[in-house]
Amino acid sequence: MVETGHFALVLAFALSLVQALVPLFGARINSQKMMAVGGPVAVTGFALTALSFAALATAYATSDFSVANVWDNSHSLQPLIYKITGTWGNHEGSMLLWVLILSFFGALVAAFGSNLPATLRANVLAVQGAIGATFLLFILATSNPFARLNPAPIEGRDLNPILQDLGLAIHPPLLYLGYVGFSICFSFSVAALIEGRIDASWARWVRPWTLVAWMFLTGGIAMGSYWAYYELGWGGFWFWDPVENASFMPWLAGTALLHSAIVMEKRSALKIWTLLLAILTFSLSLLGTFLVRSGVLTSVHAFATDPTRGVFILCILTLFIGGSLALFAFRASRLTAGGLFHPISREGALVLNNLFLTTATATVLIGTLYPLVVEAVSADKISVGAPFFNLTFGPLMVPLLVAVPFGPLLAWKRGDIFAVAQRLMAAFAAALLAVLVTALFIDGSSVFAALGVGLAFWLICGALTDIAVKSGLGSVAPGVMLSRFAGLPRSVFGTALAHLGLGLTTLGIVGTLCFGTEKILSMRAGETVQLSGHTLRFEGLYPAQGPNYSEDRGRFALLGADGSTTAVITSSKRSYPVRQMTTTESGIKTIGFSQLYLSLGDEATDGSVVVRLWWKPLVTLIWGGALVMMAGAAMSLMDRRLRVGAPSRRRRSAGAMPSASLP
Amino acid sequence: MLFWVIAAILTLGASLAVLLPLAGGPKGGSASSDHDLEVYRDQLSELDRDVARGLIQPAEAEEARAEIARRILRLDNAADKAAARPSMATRLVATAAVLAVPLVSWGLYSQLGSPDLPSQPLSERLAKNPADSSVDELVARAEAHLAANPSDGRGWDVLAPIYLRMQRFSDAVTAYRNAIRLDGDSAARQAGLGEAIASEAGGIVSSDAQAAFEAALKLDPSNPKASFYLAMSMAQEGRIEEATIGWQKMLAALPQDSPWRGAVEQALAESARRSVASGVPAKGPNAGDVDAAASMSPQDREAMINTMVAGLDEKLRQNPRDVEGWMQLIRSYVVLGKADQARDALNRGIAVFGPDSDEAKKFTAFAVSLGLTATE
Repeated sequence: MVETGHFALVLAFALSLVQALVPLFGARINSQKMMAVGGPVAVTGFALTALSFAALATAYATSDFSVANVWDNSHSLQPLIYKITGTWGNHEGSMLLWVLILSFFGALVAAFGSNLPATLRANVLAVQGAIGATFLLFILATSNPFARLNPAPIEGRDLNPILQDLGLAIHPPLLYLGYVGFSICFSFSVAALIEGRIDASWARWVRPWTLVAWMFLTGGIAMGSYWAYYELGWGGFWFWDPVENASFMPWLAGTALLHSAIVMEKRSALKIWTLLLAILTFSLSLLGTFLVRSGVLTSVHAFATDPTRGVFILCILTLFIGGSLALFAFRASRLTAGGLFHPISREGALVLNNLFLTTATATVLIGTLYPLVVEAVSADKISVGAPFFNLTFGPLMVPLLVAVPFGPLLAWKRGDIFAVAQRLMAAFAAALLAVLVTALFIDGSSVFAALGVGLAFWLICGALTDIAVKSGLGSVAPGVMLSRFAGLPRSVFGTALAHLGLGLTTLGIVGTLCFGTEKILSMRAGETVQLSGHTLRFEGLYPAQGPNYSEDRGRFALLGADGSTTAVITSSKRSYPVRQMTTTESGIKTIGFSQLYLSLGDEATDGSVVVRLWWKPLVTLIWGGALVMMAGAAMSLMDRRLRVGAPSRRRRSAGAMPSASLP
Repeated sequence: MLFWVIAAILTLGASLAVLLPLAGGPKGGSASSDHDLEVYRDQLSELDRDVARGLIQPAEAEEARAEIARRILRLDNAADKAAARPSMATRLVATAAVLAVPLVSWGLYSQLGSPDLPSQPLSERLAKNPADSSVDELVARAEAHLAANPSDGRGWDVLAPIYLRMQRFSDAVTAYRNAIRLDGDSAARQAGLGEAIASEAGGIVSSDAQAAFEAALKLDPSNPKASFYLAMSMAQEGRIEEATIGWQKMLAALPQDSPWRGAVEQALAESARRSVASGVPAKGPNAGDVDAAASMSPQDREAMINTMVAGLDEKLRQNPRDVEGWMQLIRSYVVLGKADQARDALNRGIAVFGPDSDEAKKFTAFAVSLGLTATE
């Protein structure tokens, strides 16, 4: 089974070479047969990669230590779920997952791309094949997950304990679905550049792909943030860690792409810019995948560092980023620009959004790479931390967030900003009220906190206003309004939901940062502590035994007003003997949208334990908002408008509805 | 064999995926202008919907409609280029593509793969006949059994000496402790425990190990392992004469065919050499120094020893992160009767590694075992 997987991987590489070259050649000489090769090859390549991945996962599930990768990252005592998630909890396996998702998306284009012009489809599949071939070569040459050991050791070296967690099971696949989803946008862009023309259906295809990728990337980042929050035991949700930035940059650029693709799709404007954004977004995804792996960045993802792979990685980055940008430079002038619009219009608002988002992306990129450059040039180690990002990224985001509610309310081509401002009066009043309530009743010490809450309410109410105005609130009878509401396109709800989610996330961040409290103290069993109106009693440390670890569990009782126990919170320090590592499992109690977070520190000789306590108001909204954003993207995806008709089929059955052919 | 069949089938399938489209009949592809027209029509109808919902002003909508209409007119209505005739070059590419699949895959796999190595799931390896299993596999099987029945004292008892022989010392310590806890004390188990603890510490007989050996001797005064290691611990503390007496006693009591004789004789020879240099460990002086010391007058000998100890002291000032070196130095000063200097060495050693480090604890424990206290 292991060797079958290995062989399937090699075969997938051979097929991806064919996929990269034959359809491309076919599109140049206009050979239908050669262009047709792309589809079946992409589907077969996906099937083979899936077989290969299944073989590796089986080796993990059955603890086959004759596979070096399994021996290095698994242990027979691990629970089955972590044996399986260990498949992508290491460099080799996660690269295989990356390629699996890449070939999956390629197969989707092949399977559902019948409504695309043949040459575009052939070129897209060829570019997709080229990416696949490069990565498969990288895997086979430098990170082969199927390297064998003979004789096989009897026990493995265990998976890194901090990765033995359900969050890890979900985080990388989601993140990769996002990163790799942008590869389709990239392939479409490069295909358009190769052809020297942008088909009208281009944006209709790219937008749903951008939505899908953006949705998964949002989920992946949120999941990663939540995982770091509860697993690393520091109580923070975002550290401006280079690895986090690596995933955040494609998200920012992807968000810009998402918005410019709307303009391109509806108005055929911003074509060249959208093309460039698609290239940049995937380039940042590649950078995100590889910055982590090249060994230049060290972080919690330390499982992936290996300097020897650096050169290969650098070549891949140069090939794809440099190559596509060079192609862009040569070909962009041949592309025709699209529709016209006035500065104050929906298009103008979306351009503004793009300006801010790309600048923010550049800011994060500089903050992430600058220390590396300085280190390379002068051997000084500097670190650009949260203060840099707070000073640069923050001021860029605030005006953008203020502008968000205006965008969806502006008309296409020429808008009336005063009319829109009038419609937003209610939202503005709500935001003002939130500021006053915060400043007067909750915490008057910080103006920023009150304004932050106001901003969040402005976003939330602005999103609701959008729906209300478009349903005709105040201008038509309630019955008409209801039917209009029901008749609104899904994408309108999608927009509103995504903006609402943004508001919720903002509220969560402001709440946690401005109103959170923390305490670090040394506690003995039986002692109680007060934090923001909650009383906790430390019940003591209890040893316990897990399948592959032993732990000291600290039990804390949350006391009600009458002194009775209302909940028990457990935080533990786990010790994994195989890797000789300890991890802290934080104890979290969710109360409403807020959380009480505690984590155990070191035990002193006199039996007392250092306990860190945080009260994090509204913290769950940070990730809840991300979920709402994902729901918005999903809602948008269901919009009928995004479905492109296939002319050939339509000719056969005249008058039929455009066929549903969305991936 | 099965693998090769599967590999052949996979290769065949992959080659067919390339071959079939190339070999199939001619396909009439739709011109890209048809696709564009479809999209523009859709855009026009959407524009009407937007006007109805007031998302765009009527005047601008007219303008947009005109834009779309212009694009439709601009559509390249001339049919796309005529499909290329299958030329020589085309056939060549097609042949190369079909051949590339088996050639690249089999060529590459022959370099990378290990086709003869079967999968080895752990459960299968543990289920096969014990006679065919390696020691590792047998141990793993026993571990699996003990993970399911952790209160099987006999299992721990069997496994403990095997761990010891496999140099898995910390596992051996756990196994011996479990065996003692579950099946009760015995001289062999206590002596094994002591040996495991000592081996884990790289051969240093710590107080924990000593306690275990003493417990073993209480149960069986003639236990050779316990006697041997207890004498060793004395030697390590610099009490070489006592150690020699211990080993000599042991040698007298041991039967002729005892496997311990060799070890005891070797230890005696070693301690004889060391007693010459009295207190300075064997690692310090070389053979020449020892020979020289043997032929010296007592005063000269003491002077030489003092020089060597001072040399060690100086070396540690330059190279302070040497745990063994510090312990040698402390012991040397104690043996020379220079308690103050020993204490000073102890404090310096602790300062090097930090008062909370494991090394510092080790030093303190070591000093206590020599009858020295850290600070006045």
